[in-house]
Amino acid sequence: MTPLRSRQKILIADDSEMNRAILADMLGDEYDIIEAENGARAVQIMQEQDEEIALLLLDIVMPKMDGFQVLEEMNNSRLIEDLPVIIISAETGATQVERAYQLGATDFITRPFDALIVHKRVVNTLLLYANQKKLVELVAEQVYDSELQRNMMTDILSHIVEFRNGESGLHIQHVRILTQLLLEQLNRSGAPLFSSKDISVIGLASALHDIGKIAIPEHILNKPGKLTDEEFAIMKTHTTLGAQILDKLPIYQDQPLVKVAYQICRWHHERWDGRGYPDGLRGDEIPLTAQVVALADVYDALTSVRVYKGPYSHEEAIRMILNGECGVFSPAMYECLQAISPRIPAALQGGEDAPNVRQSFFDTTQELLHRENLSVSRRTLQLVEQERVRNSFFAELTDEIQFEFTMNPLQVTLSPFGAQKLGFPEVIKDPHHNPGVLAMFQSQMVIQLSDMLRSTSPGQPVITYDCLLKVGGEERWHRIVARATWSSDEPPRYTGAIGKAIDIHETHLQLVDLERQASSDSLTGLLNHSSAQKQIRIRLNERPRGKYALVIFDLDLFKHANDTYGHLFGDELLKHLADKLRRSIRGGDIVARVGGDEFLIFMEYKDPLEPIIRRIFNSLLGKFGDFEISLSMGVAQTELVGHDYNDLFRAADSALYTIKRGQRGKGGRYVFYDGTMTKETDASAISDIDSRSGGAAEEEENHDAEGMF
Amino acid sequence: MTLKECFEALGGNYDEVLGRLRSERLIQKFTLKFLEDGSYDLLCRSMESGDYAEAFRTAHTLKGVCQNLSFTRLYSSSAQLCEALRNGFTPEAPGLFDLTTQDYALTVAAIRDFQASIPQ
Repeated sequence: MTPLRSRQKILIADDSEMNRAILADMLGDEYDIIEAENGARAVQIMQEQDEEIALLLLDIVMPKMDGFQVLEEMNNSRLIEDLPVIIISAETGATQVERAYQLGATDFITRPFDALIVHKRVVNTLLLYANQKKLVELVAEQVYDSELQRNMMTDILSHIVEFRNGESGLHIQHVRILTQLLLEQLNRSGAPLFSSKDISVIGLASALHDIGKIAIPEHILNKPGKLTDEEFAIMKTHTTLGAQILDKLPIYQDQPLVKVAYQICRWHHERWDGRGYPDGLRGDEIPLTAQVVALADVYDALTSVRVYKGPYSHEEAIRMILNGECGVFSPAMYECLQAISPRIPAALQGGEDAPNVRQSFFDTTQELLHRENLSVSRRTLQLVEQERVRNSFFAELTDEIQFEFTMNPLQVTLSPFGAQKLGFPEVIKDPHHNPGVLAMFQSQMVIQLSDMLRSTSPGQPVITYDCLLKVGGEERWHRIVARATWSSDEPPRYTGAIGKAIDIHETHLQLVDLERQASSDSLTGLLNHSSAQKQIRIRLNERPRGKYALVIFDLDLFKHANDTYGHLFGDELLKHLADKLRRSIRGGDIVARVGGDEFLIFMEYKDPLEPIIRRIFNSLLGKFGDFEISLSMGVAQTELVGHDYNDLFRAADSALYTIKRGQRGKGGRYVFYDGTMTKETDASAISDIDSRSGGAAEEEENHDAEGMF
Repeated sequence: MTLKECFEALGGNYDEVLGRLRSERLIQKFTLKFLEDGSYDLLCRSMESGDYAEAFRTAHTLKGVCQNLSFTRLYSSSAQLCEALRNGFTPEAPGLFDLTTQDYALTVAAIRDFQASIPQ
């Protein structure tokens, strides 16, 4: 968004220059103001500027054209649907107001003007319309997407039939395009019978017209020569078989698609003169949908290659149909075919043009939203009411709190929904000192937010700020997306901000959860090495004088357990050990799986360390299935090694390896790093350590380790 | 002469307009601008020529401007004139037009005095 485009244009139509000037002064800082001195001029400007104008402020009593005439003109050109109008008038008589609303006005400003009210009404109206436009696009997009999915499913299904028929893969698509062209033409030639939605449903259903052929034996279906009478009788049953398939669908019976598809399947071989099959319907007895698809089917059959014939040209096909050589259709159908005939080859060539489809869904959506079938005056009233309902509905749906913050006057204006949600008035003066606002925001957050907005520039005015807001007594994560407003003077001045707060609590928690998942080991749920390392470094830095111990241990004979009992058992064993570990440490300790069967414990201690280590060590022992758990554990202390993580880890690792290089299988033990060990240390060190810390496991081997804790 | 005194002289309500427009600068700007406003001249011309539809419209405009500026006295007479002309000529209209003319003269005179007292 460039700063130039972002200044919205407001058209003020009032015959008094004074009144226009006052309004312009009230709004001028943030908007581009265009003035019209009478109604005719206003209409002319709107036509010239096309979609540029964001809002019309309209006086009622004016020369040339009055305000009502302007509104009527806007209704004729349907401009009223896209351009919000706020009436400015001293004429507050009930009939005047009602008439303006009926003609599509959005809001009223009465004379005398109040700067605050004018400003607020304009901001609110613009916010609502901006949202609404976006939402219409969004809904159209979603309708389009789901429609696309449905089309795809129907196409796949129909292609199965085609595949068996040996027809070209394009037949279904051609029939659909022709069907839609014919329906549109029918609408043009008489009173419109079909809405855009009907046309799309019938087009979709046309794809199913030959679905009954799935039940016709293949030797009949694909016989190159003429069918015998008997074979033809079987062939003809594809109509009733198709209808039966749809009729027996356990669900979707009430769907228009299924109902229309039934008509099409059953009656697309009926003839206007009553000589078709299966039911011999005559004239208007044949549903219009089936008539249209029948014609489309015949045309495409003629112009395609079939096992029993070559293709005819477009001109030949049209001539043959109109001559009555290929069935008999209603006069209306013949007329429609003639009317669309010149457009057929291009339409079939181009296939379906994606943007057109998109556009047609956009139209359908617009139509749905606007409820075309209502009478004009009711429709207008309905529209106004619908706008209101829809806006508040979508606002609730999106959980968005929209706001505008202005420096002068110093206040926040909330959208009605936002105000209701927060339990605030719509206008909050001096928000930095408002107790309600401060209860929701921490004051340092207000400062941060304000700093962020002020440090934007007119070129890049948008900020995003995630924070915990207290809404309705509950703290929830919100994302504030705001756009600073800058004046157009040189240098630009910060004048405030517009924006919205979106409740992202659930998403945020998911993110946190994902982060947790990424930092933990998927088998045991303990931290993984890299995240444990991060946390440990933080602890070590926080309290450089604290006494910490880093413990690394692994399972003796883990490879043996894997080999003997299988890898699944190995995994279960690791999980079991992780559970025990979790239960035997204290709240602030950090435990992690370093990798394989190697684990890590990090703890702060005040008391003598050895009993703590012994307690943990013993609590981990015991039996898992038939496997006797035995551990080797190396311990390093900051008292000896210092507060560097790498040093600590290397020291604990070295202590562990001194055991590993000793006699295996004798049960595990734990060893304290004494400053002399390296991974290459000779085995003699072990006896020293053993004598100091004792062969703890052996000493206490009679205890039931699990029972102790 | 202060702006507030000017409003007293022309029978207006200064506090009310300040409450709405919120800026003395704006009020002064538009008060002075009132001298250039053509609604009253148009009103005179249409009354003279007997075009009462146009007279209604111009009276309506004058009324609206006065309402926005809280020129209460002139608002009151122009509003009455406006109503008297809403559905074409009525016997009350000429009298109300005279009253509007008097109030207009009073209003303009007060604004001119104020204008003269502004240091250049």
